[in-house]
Amino acid sequence: MRISLSWLKEFVDVPGSTDELKACLTNLGIGVETVSHAGEDLLLDVEVTTNRPDCLSHRGIAREIGAACRLPLKKVQVNFQESAVAADSRASVEILSPELCARYCARVVTNVQVKPSPAWMGRRLETVGMRPINNVADVTNYVLMELGQPLHAFDLNSIRGSRILARRAKAGERLKTLDGVDRVLAPDQLVIADAERAVALAGVMGGEESEITASTRSVLLESAWFDPVSIRRTAKAQGLHTEASHRFERGADIEMAPLALDRAAGLVAELAGGEVLRGAIDVYPQVRSRPTLLLRESEIVRMLGAEVPGGVVERILKSLEFEVKANGAKAWSVTPPSFRLDVTREVDLIEEVARHFGYDRLPSRLMIAPPRPERDLIRQRESEISEILVSLGYRQIITSSMISPAENARFSSKEAVVLQNPLSQEASELRTTPLPGMLAALRWNLDRDQDDLRFYEMGKIYWRNEKGQACERRVLALGLTGHQTPVSVHGEARDIGFFDLKGDLEALLQRFAFRALCLDSTGAACYQPGLSAAYEEKGRPIASFGRLVEELAAGYKLRVPAWTAEIDLEFLLEAPQRARSFKAFSRFPAVVRDFSLTVPSRIEYTRIAEALERAACPELASFAPVDLFRGASLDSAHYSLLLRVKFESHDRTLTSEEIAAASRKLLDALASLEIHLRGEAPAEPTSPRPPNSKSKFQA
Amino acid sequence: MTLEELREKSGKTLQDLDACAPEEILRLFEGVRELLEQDARQLATGPASSGGQDAARDEELRERWLSRKRGLLTLINEHWLKAAPKPLKPVAGVSFNKLHARACEIFPDNVAVAAGRKAKASSLPDLTLPGLRRPLGSLHPITQVQREIEEIFINLGFSVERGPEIESVYYNFDALNIPESHPSRDDWDTLYIDAQTVLRTHTSPVQVRALEKYGAPLYIIIPGKCYRRDNPDSTHSPMFHQIEGLAVGPNVTFADLKGTLDFFARRFFGEKTRTSFHPSFFPFTEPSGEVAISCPFCDGGGCRVCKHSGWIEVMGCGMVHPEVLRHGGVDPEQYSGWAFGLGVDRYAMMKFGIDDIQLFFQSDVRFLGQF
Repeated sequence: MRISLSWLKEFVDVPGSTDELKACLTNLGIGVETVSHAGEDLLLDVEVTTNRPDCLSHRGIAREIGAACRLPLKKVQVNFQESAVAADSRASVEILSPELCARYCARVVTNVQVKPSPAWMGRRLETVGMRPINNVADVTNYVLMELGQPLHAFDLNSIRGSRILARRAKAGERLKTLDGVDRVLAPDQLVIADAERAVALAGVMGGEESEITASTRSVLLESAWFDPVSIRRTAKAQGLHTEASHRFERGADIEMAPLALDRAAGLVAELAGGEVLRGAIDVYPQVRSRPTLLLRESEIVRMLGAEVPGGVVERILKSLEFEVKANGAKAWSVTPPSFRLDVTREVDLIEEVARHFGYDRLPSRLMIAPPRPERDLIRQRESEISEILVSLGYRQIITSSMISPAENARFSSKEAVVLQNPLSQEASELRTTPLPGMLAALRWNLDRDQDDLRFYEMGKIYWRNEKGQACERRVLALGLTGHQTPVSVHGEARDIGFFDLKGDLEALLQRFAFRALCLDSTGAACYQPGLSAAYEEKGRPIASFGRLVEELAAGYKLRVPAWTAEIDLEFLLEAPQRARSFKAFSRFPAVVRDFSLTVPSRIEYTRIAEALERAACPELASFAPVDLFRGASLDSAHYSLLLRVKFESHDRTLTSEEIAAASRKLLDALASLEIHLRGEAPAEPTSPRPPNSKSKFQA
Repeated sequence: MTLEELREKSGKTLQDLDACAPEEILRLFEGVRELLEQDARQLATGPASSGGQDAARDEELRERWLSRKRGLLTLINEHWLKAAPKPLKPVAGVSFNKLHARACEIFPDNVAVAAGRKAKASSLPDLTLPGLRRPLGSLHPITQVQREIEEIFINLGFSVERGPEIESVYYNFDALNIPESHPSRDDWDTLYIDAQTVLRTHTSPVQVRALEKYGAPLYIIIPGKCYRRDNPDSTHSPMFHQIEGLAVGPNVTFADLKGTLDFFARRFFGEKTRTSFHPSFFPFTEPSGEVAISCPFCDGGGCRVCKHSGWIEVMGCGMVHPEVLRHGGVDPEQYSGWAFGLGVDRYAMMKFGIDDIQLFFQSDVRFLGQF
């Protein structure tokens, strides 16, 4: 709200410099956004929070400054002579909906001359951002900015039957408002009507037909109190936000209505001539009483952690126009003024005390919370997973949760959660998959000639389940392009391949104690067959990964192959971790042997590994495939596999006989899969060879 | 056949190897050929890659096959060919010649190899060349700042609590004392899913959820994503990150709020940081406040970052409103509490001097690599 310093000074002797004024207001909770010059005047743009409609006026701001600086608030100037004719002989007011209109005051001014306002008023209105219209309309705006009470002026001659009714609109009733819009009204909207029709949308905007014009002779001034909730709904429904509705929906001061009315009547008489008819019409069916609140000294201490002297408490509240009476030795009975609708509880009074005492003057104490014994496993797990990924070279990214329906549909068949009022079609659904965001990130960088990319994102996906409920779940997404080893003086470049991604997933998943983790070689539809796979634990998908199919990659304009993975992070966060317990290792040298095997093509490596693990060979310490070869002398039904095996014992150095026996056990186990040593007749196993002459572990 | 097997076999005669039929000899040579081709694949590409380790390795491979004394082909010639029974000699001879020609083709005694041989003998590698790095990844700057903030409070005994991003209007607004009928509801530009469901506009709904779940006393911080219907620009993003703090217990006062947030500000922004509290309004706290810190960039002297005021507003805070405690099932006469909320993205911008919030969500490696 814009505040003129010269106007403010009409209500309080503002002390000190602009900076001091600014600091003073800030310390009261009234933010000063800018201070600027407006001619000889100074303009302050202040930010008033929604709970303080009483500060939406010059007088309201002056009251706060006065209380803070212990300065008196000056009186509102009201001076006019009433004529002998009674106002109620010229107009009548009736409230038909007292639940929406609690008070309606009106005055009649006759024989006015409508013309432009004098320069001083025009300047003031322009300074606070209002456009001068004519002397009568300007007076209503002037009083609004001065006292915070919205007023309205009707051309009394256009009020049929000289009757003012505050009633609900009839269904389908029409009204052309001052902005020229023909509006259809609804019964939950309050109107001001004459004997025949609606003439104003109460508390929001007047009607065009009863507007003050150059030919207006008699004016009916309205100063009323409308229900905040009703005004808010009406303004929202009509898409109209006005200075009046802004104040009424926050709560106007019901006791201000007659004073503001008199102030306006005096100004109209002064600027437009005319006679103010005798008496104000004041329809106030049920006089509002403010609740009296109990304020306990003990409660001040309990909330603020400080003892504010009783005298100070009383002074602060009284300066803000609260009625304060002692209630016993250590408490007060406090009645807030009618303009403080925000104060309804003891704690609201404590805030007033703290606010005017000064937050910075209140004590300060570091608090240590009693620590809880349980650990935050989720946070710890998330950190650990991040640590692994970062050490594997992945950079963390964060992408939008809101994407386009087309992108969701491209990757998943889950029903998406749709936004009612999205910012754009491109961000109108919550993502059911993290892949579009990942691919957008890859593309952004590829388009900028940055090719070697490894990204991870930990975020949520959202979808509707079979029951239609909106669900959300944490997932982990990986995205890779470019080289596993970039080109350098030390060696050649190598592109990222399937086993690089699989290796990273293995590094991650080996932290967890899965019961039955298995690899399914059919990946999701978005991946190329043969270059994609999925991990499952007891049939439940944990991770799906692979190389993106060409059409999708082309759709995202990715000019190099892209590899992605989607992992059920929430499952990992809750999965049991591999136990970390020490297992003694052998003090005796291990022996390494290479087995050159001929394997039927249909046998996958995983079956070989299973067979070896089941072979019940206690000397077997570890094994790994070190070479794989197809074609040439081998028929197409077989491939050749070089398996490097390590034997060891915990209590002795193995003899060559023991190694031979252990080897035989393994070969026997493999024979059941029709796997044999290369070049050997299937039936006669012979001893394998040491891997090479340099081996340190030969028996 | 492995290389080791071949090395053993090359020292024996064909008879010793039981290769007495032409087919067997052919198969034997074919095995040798496979091993030779395997080595050929290990060669660094062509003569262009000269010098250094590549050349040294190439030379090693060449020596393995063609060395005049210990080369495999020399041994095969010696033991298989020369000692072969007459009828088998043509077969073995032809096979050997083919093999030898192929080996010479694979391992030409060219300039590069010669240079490599020379390098091996005379020079050490240039140790000033950059090391072979395994690239490290990085945490997102928002995560880094979020963790730092979390850790300050964890050290004060707080625990981390989380909540859903798809939130009911009840938890997001009503339970926080923000009724639909009050204009304060308009302070949050809300993205709606349906009349009763929103994308949470702040992390505050977790206050009530946590109070319902654990009761008092409760000391938690709540990090998470929030959403508002703000058009993206350099200071606004429809998706952003908040951290909420909540302390509810017996005798928790405004003094605790001030002292704790002052401690936090000094830990995060630097020990010289001063804090200032002034009143504000949030429907879910009473009294409510804003915390300003002395500008860490100019020490309060005034600069561009603090708009020459010397102070920067860094968070909203206040004493938990009795209605909020009540909605969480906690008796406001028995317990009191304080809460605060801050924007992690803004903190990261301040900490790292980032001038555009959109950079956080573009995933540009030139950006991510700086943190």
